Amino acid sequence: MSPTALLLLPILIPLAAGVLVLLVRWSSGRAQGALALLATIGSLLTAIYLFSKDLSCSLPWGGMGMAFALRADRFSAFILLSAAALALLVTLYSFKFMIGRRYPGQFYCYLLLSLASLSGAVLADHLVVLLFFWEGLLATTFGMIAIGRPGAFKTATKALIIVGITDLCLLLGIALTGVAAGTLILSKIRLPLDSLASAAMLLMMIGAISKAGAMPFHSWIPDAAVDAPLPFMAFMPGSLEKLLGIYFLARISLDLFQMTPGAWISMVMMIIGAATIVLAVMMALVQKDYKRLLSYHAISQVGYMILGIGTAVPIGIVGGLFHMLNNAMYKSCLFLTAGSVEKQAGTTDLEKLGGLARKMPVTFACFFVAALSISGVPPFNGFFSKEMVYDAARSRHVAFYLAALVGSFFTAASFLKLGHSAFLGRRRAENDGVKEAPPSMLLPMIVIAGSCALFGLVDAIPVRHLIEPAVRNSAFAAQHWTEPHSFAGWHLNAILVILTLISLAAALLNHLLGARIGGGGLHAADHIHHAPVLSGIYARAEQRYFDPYDIGMKFAMAISRGLWGVDRGIDWCYDRLAVAIAGTFSRGIRLAHTGDYATYALWCVAGAAAVIVFLAMAV
Amino acid sequence: MLSLLILVPLAALILLNLPLKEALRKWAFPLALAIALAQVGTVLFAPSSLRSASPFLEQLVSLTLQAGNLSLVLLLCIGIVMFTALLVAKPMIQGPRPWFNFINVLLISLIGMNGAVLVTDLFSLYVFLEVTSVASFVLIAFNRDRDALEGAFKYIVLSAVATVLMLTAVALLMLMAGGTGFETIRLTLAGTNANLLAKIAVGGFVCGLFIKGGLVPFHGWLPGAYSAAPAPVSVLLAGIVTKVSGIYALVRLATSVFPPSGPLNHVLMLVGAVSIVVGALAALGQSDMKRMLAYSSISQVGYIVLALGCGTELAVAGAVFHLFNHAIFKSLLFVNSAALEQRLGTTDMNRMGGLGSRMPWTGVTSTVAALSTSGVPPFAGFWSKLIIIIALWKAQDYAYAWIAVLMSVVTLAYFLVLQRKVFFGKVSRELAEVHEASFALVFPAVVLAAITSGVGVLLPWMLDSFLLPLKTIL
Repeated sequence: MSPTALLLLPILIPLAAGVLVLLVRWSSGRAQGALALLATIGSLLTAIYLFSKDLSCSLPWGGMGMAFALRADRFSAFILLSAAALALLVTLYSFKFMIGRRYPGQFYCYLLLSLASLSGAVLADHLVVLLFFWEGLLATTFGMIAIGRPGAFKTATKALIIVGITDLCLLLGIALTGVAAGTLILSKIRLPLDSLASAAMLLMMIGAISKAGAMPFHSWIPDAAVDAPLPFMAFMPGSLEKLLGIYFLARISLDLFQMTPGAWISMVMMIIGAATIVLAVMMALVQKDYKRLLSYHAISQVGYMILGIGTAVPIGIVGGLFHMLNNAMYKSCLFLTAGSVEKQAGTTDLEKLGGLARKMPVTFACFFVAALSISGVPPFNGFFSKEMVYDAARSRHVAFYLAALVGSFFTAASFLKLGHSAFLGRRRAENDGVKEAPPSMLLPMIVIAGSCALFGLVDAIPVRHLIEPAVRNSAFAAQHWTEPHSFAGWHLNAILVILTLISLAAALLNHLLGARIGGGGLHAADHIHHAPVLSGIYARAEQRYFDPYDIGMKFAMAISRGLWGVDRGIDWCYDRLAVAIAGTFSRGIRLAHTGDYATYALWCVAGAAAVIVFLAMAV
Repeated sequence: MLSLLILVPLAALILLNLPLKEALRKWAFPLALAIALAQVGTVLFAPSSLRSASPFLEQLVSLTLQAGNLSLVLLLCIGIVMFTALLVAKPMIQGPRPWFNFINVLLISLIGMNGAVLVTDLFSLYVFLEVTSVASFVLIAFNRDRDALEGAFKYIVLSAVATVLMLTAVALLMLMAGGTGFETIRLTLAGTNANLLAKIAVGGFVCGLFIKGGLVPFHGWLPGAYSAAPAPVSVLLAGIVTKVSGIYALVRLATSVFPPSGPLNHVLMLVGAVSIVVGALAALGQSDMKRMLAYSSISQVGYIVLALGCGTELAVAGAVFHLFNHAIFKSLLFVNSAALEQRLGTTDMNRMGGLGSRMPWTGVTSTVAALSTSGVPPFAGFWSKLIIIIALWKAQDYAYAWIAVLMSVVTLAYFLVLQRKVFFGKVSRELAEVHEASFALVFPAVVLAAITSGVGVLLPWMLDSFLLPLKTIL
């Protein structure tokens, strides 16, 4: 096959299938699911075939020098492969999950179009093409949330506005980059960070981290967790958007701009990363809903990736990307366990759950592996990627390391709380009839949980074959990563590992203590929730005082109220003032027309006299 | 050939009134209709025949006649409006005797108007204007009720004032020039630029024409005459009579007889602007449809005089184009009011409502006319107003341009009032039985609406053949 056709396949297969799905008329969801399954299998096979090939193509498009340029290198092929694999697993999972739910056709359509958009964005070698597919993902996000439970439309709008604004930043960044570089072809851009390029990079970074879901652009995710269909959470904020956002962040940091540890933008990224880790995990700790709790972790974990890439040292970048891959796995696995619980027990409210481990042993086992992984417990994959990020953060400034470590402590604490309150403890009477999820839902979870363990035990597989070749391939590595050694295996800083283990032990102790004070797993974090200063902050956070969207909306509302007043004023001028003036004159003129011909004759004579005198006097 | 335009109606008039059998009178209506149509056809399809002179006929009349482009436009309008008025009169004038008389007076009016636009000397112009006016007195008072007589009387009184002014002016000019031919007067006045008597004469004649044209503050007779006259007479008066006797003469004299003069232009612009404003605001407060249309006429004539006063080639072309458009859409509106009067017996708008559903042809054509008058694209009125406003702006008369724009909004406002009161909304129970007016009223309405929208839509193709040659009238 020609490279052009080969590069178009990963976009065209899900796109065509996504359109076909809408044509299926049966509403049960089985036929749509089967079609989606076929398409995702096709995508995965294409992604495998594309892997380790270096291809590029360019088609005329859009005029004005724009080309539909695509390129597959080690980095994009790696992202493509991960996304296709996750898409297949999520589709398999949804097959049973979506039966009997609203709009199965639209759901699979959006899922497949999301995959097509991601493939296009990752393969794009032209910034405008990338933006095109990037926006495609926003559209499907909107659609996915909107088809959720009734009332989800508001959340969908919130996501659209927040991400739409940051995408506008991305657009401006692309324009600035085009001005600075004189081209929009990704593989030809390599800019030193002068003031213009820094501004361009900052704007593009805002677009990238917003797509990945970092603070302060996160606030739609917890709302969507409650409103949207659950596989959406596993697929989009859980994995796909992280893959795309972090991919692009790495691209601009490694290839498009010459980022060095001394650049101020590196410091900006590290601060955003560290703040996101700590603030989001603090919110996660006090959640009382399975899905909401996970959604805050979906935000918090992005912090590690941004922090890792922001350090601008090789181990940090490799660690950040490794964490991206790991997070996509364990986070989607965790959301899938939430889906199983929701489908089997009918709720994700932690108050109503408990003791499910005996009823749903496989789900619990998968949850357990994924939770250990996200908490960074050796030897699971999350441990290795976090250690790399720790190492890089410590080499820049100890404060970033401490933030990451504190984040790790709270992550562990919140998963202890979640596992304890959902799967352990006393079972409520109404949950006695709960059964294990069907095999087609268990299989994806088992595959992912198994991969978490595998990628931890043999971390050489992902690091040496997926991530390091991608980073090595970049312009950054050519300048700053000349030594040939790999970061795979146990080449870790012993002191950092010991500190990690201490923090994990402290989290366990904290949980046991909290559970004894609060009485039960659900209340194990209450002593932190109700701590003197924190309780006030938490109370305000729950009333959305810190939600940038709500603040922006209040601001917009104030402006629109003001404009409404101005508008009423203008209306009054037209409706009242103008009518009153015209009416007054009209009445006056009518009164002057008495119908008396003598008066009229007088007017004529007076008028004629005035005209003649004027003409006679005028020079 | 030109004299035929006067001689043929005259001959018809004499023929009809010969002491022959009564049977001849049956042919009066078709004959008059044919004369009007022949005039339209000649102007449209054989304008060159009007330029050639025929010695035999010229000697018969012993008048020097001449038809420039401006005269052709007016002859076309006269033919169209006369045709319309005849059709409208058919169902509205009752009884064979009044009907025969009516046609006779219409023919006299036709002779007067055709003569006025063809003559080339001031005194003949005055004579033909008087012929037209006398015919108008009779026509206004045709129904012989109180209002009609009062309206006619007011017109006679104010016409008398105009006569005094115009005759004085003719006498003074004859004194100075030794003749009343346009060319003689033009040469004389060009030589005596600062002559006080000449200025007084020009002022007097112009004021006489203001009265005939019904410009503010010389307009006192107009609303009463228009609203009291029978419906076909309103069509004729508003559509063409005041335009020929007032406006055509003003355009002709101001552009090619009287010397170009700043003060005269100032007077024309001021009177035009005042007419626009007063007419539009007065129309806004009327509840009788014919009165509202009468004030609207004052306002629209104001546009023509304002543009004339501006004096640039473009402005005068716009003025003449607006004159043509006004003849079409104002006749159309009066035809609509005739249709309503035929079915409802009244023109009081407060007693109407929702008639658009009952009288669809009348409703649609009146909407077209209203939009055209208000200057809404793509109707013809839009283009003429646009040309006038552009010309004013180019001549740096910004204040007048703004008045023209703002009052077009008021025009739209009072026409919306008219449409809402008469045609829109739900039809009331007592009007539920009303149905569309008779064919003689619907047919001219449709033709006129087709003309005003056709000219508007096709203007880009007519610009070269119709509008730009208007400049050459100067």
